[in-house]
Amino acid sequence: MSASSVRLTVNGAPSPLAEVPHDERLLDSLRWRLGLKGTKEGCRTGNCGACTVLVDGASTLSCLTLTHEVEGAAVTTVEGVADDPVGARVRAAFADAGALQCGYCTPGFLVALTGLLREEGRAAPVEELLEELASNLCRCTGYSAIARAVKDARERLP
Amino acid sequence: MSAFELIVPATAEEAVAALRAAAGDGVAALAGGTDLLLDLEDGRVTARRVVSLRRLPWRTLDWNGPTLTIGSTLPLRRLELDPEVRAGFPGLYDAVRAVGGPALRHRATVGGNLGRSAPASDLVPVLLTLDAEVELIGAHGSRGVALDRFLVGSRRTTLAAGELIRAVRLPERRPSAYLWQRVRPSNDISQIAVATAYSPTRRTWHVAIGGVAPRPVLVPEAAGALGGGRPTDDAVRRAREAVRRHAPVTADKRGSEEYRRHLAGVLLDRAVATTLARFA
Repeated sequence: MSASSVRLTVNGAPSPLAEVPHDERLLDSLRWRLGLKGTKEGCRTGNCGACTVLVDGASTLSCLTLTHEVEGAAVTTVEGVADDPVGARVRAAFADAGALQCGYCTPGFLVALTGLLREEGRAAPVEELLEELASNLCRCTGYSAIARAVKDARERLP
Repeated sequence: MSAFELIVPATAEEAVAALRAAAGDGVAALAGGTDLLLDLEDGRVTARRVVSLRRLPWRTLDWNGPTLTIGSTLPLRRLELDPEVRAGFPGLYDAVRAVGGPALRHRATVGGNLGRSAPASDLVPVLLTLDAEVELIGAHGSRGVALDRFLVGSRRTTLAAGELIRAVRLPERRPSAYLWQRVRPSNDISQIAVATAYSPTRRTWHVAIGGVAPRPVLVPEAAGALGGGRPTDDAVRRAREAVRRHAPVTADKRGSEEYRRHLAGVLLDRAVATTLARFA
C-alpha cells in the first residue's frame, strides 16, 4: 500500500520505477533510484534552486515535486541538459566564463537557465533572466561570473 | 513506508467524493504542492490521504468579454507568460512575479495559493483589489464566494469539508500594481505589500495590504481618499495617511510595527503612481 510504479522518461531514456512510495520526491528518485547525482539537494524547501530539473521542458524544483505527480513526463537533469542545443550553449558559456566556485549550485543554474532560454529565447532581456535566476542561490556568492555566463549564453542562442 | 496515500481522481466528482470519504482521518488536496508538501513534512498539516488534482481539466484560462476565469490548477507561470493577462491585469502580473522563481511558478497554482491562505500571500492583495470571486465545487454543486469572504485568517478559509476551489473569476480588466518590501528579495516572504487597482467602469480605487495579520485586507479608507479618477497630490497624501493608520500591522521578526507602517505609506505612493502610469 502507498507505493506503486511510475513511468518516466529521463534524459531521453524510458525509466520505469517500481514500488515508489507515494510521498517520494522526484529529487530522491533521480539521485537514489537512477543514480543521477548531478541534481543536488540544497535546502529541500524550495529556496535554493540546486535541485532544478526540467519536467516536459519546464524548470521544476524536484525537492517539492512528488515523483508520482510527474507520471509519464519527460525529465531532463543536468546529465542530459547538453543533449539539447540550447543546453549545450549554456554549458559552454558557464565553462568559458569559469562561472563556478565550489560547483554545488551549478547544475541548478545550468538547468534553470536552459529552461528559461528555451521558454523565452532572445525575447527576454538579460536583466529579466538575472531576476528570474535570483531564485538560484550560489553560497560562494560567485555571481559576477555567473551573470557574465548568462549574458554570453543568451548571445550564443541560434 | 509512505507518510500518506496519494489518490488521483479523474473527475471533479471523484475528487469531491475522495475528500469526503477521508474527511474523518485527515485529508489534503494537492495542486502544485509547493506549500503543502512542506507543511506535510513539518507536521503543520497532518493527512493520511492526499488527493491530487493533477488529472482534473482545470488548467484553464477563459475570457468572456471583460471577465477572466482562471482555472484553479493553472500553474502561475502560465498566467505570467500570457500577454493578455499581463495587459489586462498588470498588478496580477507583478504579484505572480513576486512568488518564488520560475521553477516554483511552473508548479504553484492560483487555487493552491488561495486555499492555503498565507498571511503573506502575494496574490491575495491584488486579487482583492480586482474583486475576485472564488468558484467552489462540492457534493451539492457549485457556489461563488467573494474572495474577501472566502479568506478567514492564516491558513483558514470558508472552504467546507469536501469542497474544492474550481476557479477564480476577475470581473473586469483594471489598471493595477503590486509592490512589496522584503528583507531578502529572492527567498523570503514580504514584510509588507500594497496593491492598488482602479475600476474604469465604477470609477473607484481599490487598495489592499499584505504581509499583515491574520490575512491581507482591503483598506477602504485609503481607497476612498483617492476618490474617482486621477487623484490630486492631496488625495494621495490622505490615502497614505489612511493606509498608515488603518492597516492591521503588527511587529514580528521581519520588522517593527512602526517600520511597516512607514513602508505601507511609501509603497502606497509608488503603487498609485505605477497604476496611473498604466491607465489606457
